[in-house]
Amino acid sequence: METLKGIRLNVGPVHPATHGVLKVVVDIEGDTVNKAQVEMGFLHRGKEKMAEVRYFSNYYPIVDKLDYVSAINMEVLYASLVEKAAGIEIPPRAVYIRTIMAEIQRIMSHLVYIGSIGEDLGNITGMFWALRERELLMDLVEEVSGGRLAPMYMTTGGSFYDLPQHFDEKAEKALVRVETKINKDYNSMFTKNQLFLMRTKGVGVLDRYMVKKYGITGPNMRAAGIDRDLRKSEPYLAYDKVDFDVVTGEDGDANSRFMVRVGEILQSIRIVRQCLRDLPEGPYVTKTPWLMKIPDKRTFVRQETPRGEMAMYMITNGGTQPYRLKIRSPTFFALRALEEILVGVKVADIVVTIASLDPVMGEVDR
Amino acid sequence: MKEYFEKLKGVLGNKVKDFGVDGTEYSVLLVDKKLLKTAAEIIRQDFDVLFMLAVADYKPKFELNYVFSSYDKPDTIVIRTYITDRDYSIDTLTEVFDSANWEEREAYDLFGIKFNKHPDLRRILLPEDWPGHPLRKDFVVTDEVRNWTGLDLKF
Amino acid sequence: MIFNVIYGEVARFVTAGPAWVVTMLITFVLVFAITALVPIFLGWVERKYSARIQSRYGPVYVGPFGLLQNFADIMKLIGKRAISTNVDRLPYEFVPIVLATLSFAMVLIIPFGGANLEFISVPYSLLFLYVFLAVSPLLVLMAGWGENNKYAMLGGFRGVGQIATYELALIVTMISVAFLAGSYNIVDIVNGQSGLWYGAYLPVTLIVFALTGLAIIERAPFDIPEASQELQAGWKVEYSGIRYGLFLIADYVRLMIVSILVVYLFLGGWLGPVLPGFVWFIIKTAAVLLIIMAPRWTLPRPRIDQFIKFGWNWLLPLSIVNLVMVGGLLLI
Repeated sequence: METLKGIRLNVGPVHPATHGVLKVVVDIEGDTVNKAQVEMGFLHRGKEKMAEVRYFSNYYPIVDKLDYVSAINMEVLYASLVEKAAGIEIPPRAVYIRTIMAEIQRIMSHLVYIGSIGEDLGNITGMFWALRERELLMDLVEEVSGGRLAPMYMTTGGSFYDLPQHFDEKAEKALVRVETKINKDYNSMFTKNQLFLMRTKGVGVLDRYMVKKYGITGPNMRAAGIDRDLRKSEPYLAYDKVDFDVVTGEDGDANSRFMVRVGEILQSIRIVRQCLRDLPEGPYVTKTPWLMKIPDKRTFVRQETPRGEMAMYMITNGGTQPYRLKIRSPTFFALRALEEILVGVKVADIVVTIASLDPVMGEVDR
Repeated sequence: MKEYFEKLKGVLGNKVKDFGVDGTEYSVLLVDKKLLKTAAEIIRQDFDVLFMLAVADYKPKFELNYVFSSYDKPDTIVIRTYITDRDYSIDTLTEVFDSANWEEREAYDLFGIKFNKHPDLRRILLPEDWPGHPLRKDFVVTDEVRNWTGLDLKF
Repeated sequence: MIFNVIYGEVARFVTAGPAWVVTMLITFVLVFAITALVPIFLGWVERKYSARIQSRYGPVYVGPFGLLQNFADIMKLIGKRAISTNVDRLPYEFVPIVLATLSFAMVLIIPFGGANLEFISVPYSLLFLYVFLAVSPLLVLMAGWGENNKYAMLGGFRGVGQIATYELALIVTMISVAFLAGSYNIVDIVNGQSGLWYGAYLPVTLIVFALTGLAIIERAPFDIPEASQELQAGWKVEYSGIRYGLFLIADYVRLMIVSILVVYLFLGGWLGPVLPGFVWFIIKTAAVLLIIMAPRWTLPRPRIDQFIKFGWNWLLPLSIVNLVMVGGLLLI
C-alpha cells in the first residue's frame, strides 16, 4: 500500500449522508479531498438474475424495488418493455393513467431529492417540509393503488385498477398545495437562501464535456445545459399530446442540478393537469394472459425516469420468462463522475455533491 | 440508421452484417470480435456514449450487445458480437468510449468476460472474493456461495 | 449572593466550621439541580419549537405536554452501557467531565436576574465566563484525538479552527462592552445600562456577539465540528451513555449562558419598567433564546472554510472597529 499523506476516510456504506449504501473512499489531506474511489454493490440483489426465473407478469413487484423512490416509473418502463416485446397495444385511458401516475411519482422523487439535499446541508427542516408535501401525493398513490412506496399499480396492458372517483379533484388539491409551497416556502428555505446558495454554487461541477464522457443523463445532464429529454425527443406514453418545457440549467453545479429538479416539478404538475383534463373514457387495461410467451427477439426500451434515461434490454427465447434482462441504470453512470468531481472539494462538500447527483442505490446496484 | 451501417461496411467489408430492425432496434452483427474496436471508432464519429452493454450467455458462446446512443439525436445503434472461444476475452472499448468503463466491469463481474487492456478490471457489484459469475447460465448455488459471509474481505 | 444568604440561614443552627461545609453542600445541590434542569427544560422548548417549524407535534407522551421527555432521555443515557474501544482513556474520560464542570461553574457565577442572585459573586465575572466558554478548543482537540477515530479527529481539527477564530471576536466584543461600563463585573455592566441599553449604542456588536457566541458553543447552523451529516457527530462520535449526556447538558447550559450574556451585555439585563427585575430577565432571556434557536432549524450549515473566512474577514474587523469606536466615544 502506498503511503498516505493524509487520512483515508470511508464515507459509507453506513453513513447518514450517502443515501443508502454507497461507499466512497476518499483520501483527504486537511479538509480537502485528494482522491476518491466509489465502491458499490452493497444493495446488489441480483434483480437481473431474478428476471430469468420469473414469468413476465411476476416481475412487477421486483421492479418496484429497483428504484424505490420512483417505483411507478420503473413499473411503467418494465410494462412498456413487455408490451413492446409482446406487441400489446394499451388503451388510451391506460396511456393517460400511466402518464399521470408517472409524473406524480416524478414529483415525489424530486421532492425527496429536495429534502435530502437540504438534510445533507444540515437543514433537517427541509427534509420534513419536502416529505410533508410528498405525503399528499403519497396519499394519492395509496388511494389509487393501495400501496405507498412499492405500489405495484401497473400491469402488462394497462394498470391493475381504474382511477378512483373524484381523483382529479383530490389530485388538483394536492398539486395546488405542492405548487404554492414550492413557489413560496421553498424560496426562503432553498432557492433564495443565501447560505444554501453559498453551499451549492460552484460545487461538484459537471460540465457538458464530462456529461458526454460519462454518459450521464436526466436532470444531471440538463443542468449542464444539454437540452435533451426523452419525453420530448422520442415521446412514449402521452407525452406528445401534452405541452411542457424541458428545464435546463447552465452551470452544471449542485445548485443548477437542484434548480432543474425544482423546475421539473412545476412542469410535471403542468403535465398532470393536462392529462387529468384530457383523460379519455374507456377501458383501462388490455386483458393479457398471466402466463404469456414472447417469441425469440430482442427488445430495447428507454424512458426518462426521474434519475435519467433508464433502459431495459430484454432477450426472449420463446419461453414464459426472459432469457436475459439487462437494466441500464442512469445513476450507475453518474456515480462514476464522482471520482473526478470529488477531487479538490472539502469534506463537507462530499455529501452535497453525492446528494446532488440523486443516487438511489437500489437502482445502481440492482 | 442505414447510413451508419454503410459507414461500417465501407471499412469492415463483409465482416459486418445488417440485421435491420431485429426485434425492435436497429442492429448490426459483427462477425469478428477482433474488429470491435475498429467498429467502435467508426461509431464514435456519430455517437457519444456506450449506452448499455447487454451480455447474454448462450452456452458455450457469449452474446454482447453494445447499445450506442448520442446526445444530439434520438438514434441508437446496437452492435452485436459473439465470443466463441474459451478464453472469454474481448477488446475493451474504454479508450474509445469512456462510459464503457463500468459497464465492462459489470460484465466482467457478472459474466466473467475479460476485457483486454481495460484500465481497472475489478469486480464492481459483487465482493472481490465472490465465487463464480452469477449471471452465467451454468452458475449453481454451491455451498461456497451459500456459506459466504464476507468476513474474509479486507476493508 | 445566594451563598451568603444560605450561610446566614445555616449559621443560625450550626456553628461556624460545619456551617461552611453545609452551605457548600446546599449550594452544590442547588447548582447541580439547575445545571441538570436546564437541558431538560431547554431541550423540551427546543423540541416543541422545532416541531412547530417542521409541522410536527414534538414530544407529547412523557409528562404534561411532553415536558419530561428530556428527563427520560437523560435517564436513558445514564442507563446506557458505554461502548468504547481503542480509545485513549485519559483524554476520552477527561473531556465530558471537564465540559460539564465548566458549565457547572458558569451557573455558579452568573447572576440569575438580580444583583444578588448569583451563587458566588466574583469581581471579574465576565472574564471568568469568557474563559469558561472559550477553553473548549483544547477540550475538542483532546476529545477528537483521544477517541482514535478519523471522523472525530477531523471534527477536532475543525473545532479548534472554528473556536480559535471566533474566540478573538468574542473577547473583543466583550471588552468593548466592558469599556463602556468601566467594569468586568456583570452586575456593574447591567447597572450601567439604566439609561440606554448598550445594544442601542452597539447594535453591530450585539450581532457579532450573538454570532460568535453561537460559533463558540457550536450551535447549529455553526455546528461544523460535529456536523452530523458529513462527520456523523464529529468529535463526539465515539461517546455514548452518560458521557454523551454530559455533552448534552454542557451544550444546553452554554446555550443558556450565551443568551443570558446577550441580555446582560446588550439588552439591559434585569432592568425594565413596572415589572420586577426577575420577570424582565425571564422575558428577555426567553426571547433571545427563541431567536437564537431558530437558525438551527431553518438554515443550512456553512462550510468550514467559508465560516472561518467569515470570522476573520468580517466579524473580527467589525468587532475591532467597534472597540475603537467605543474608545473614541469614551474619550469624548
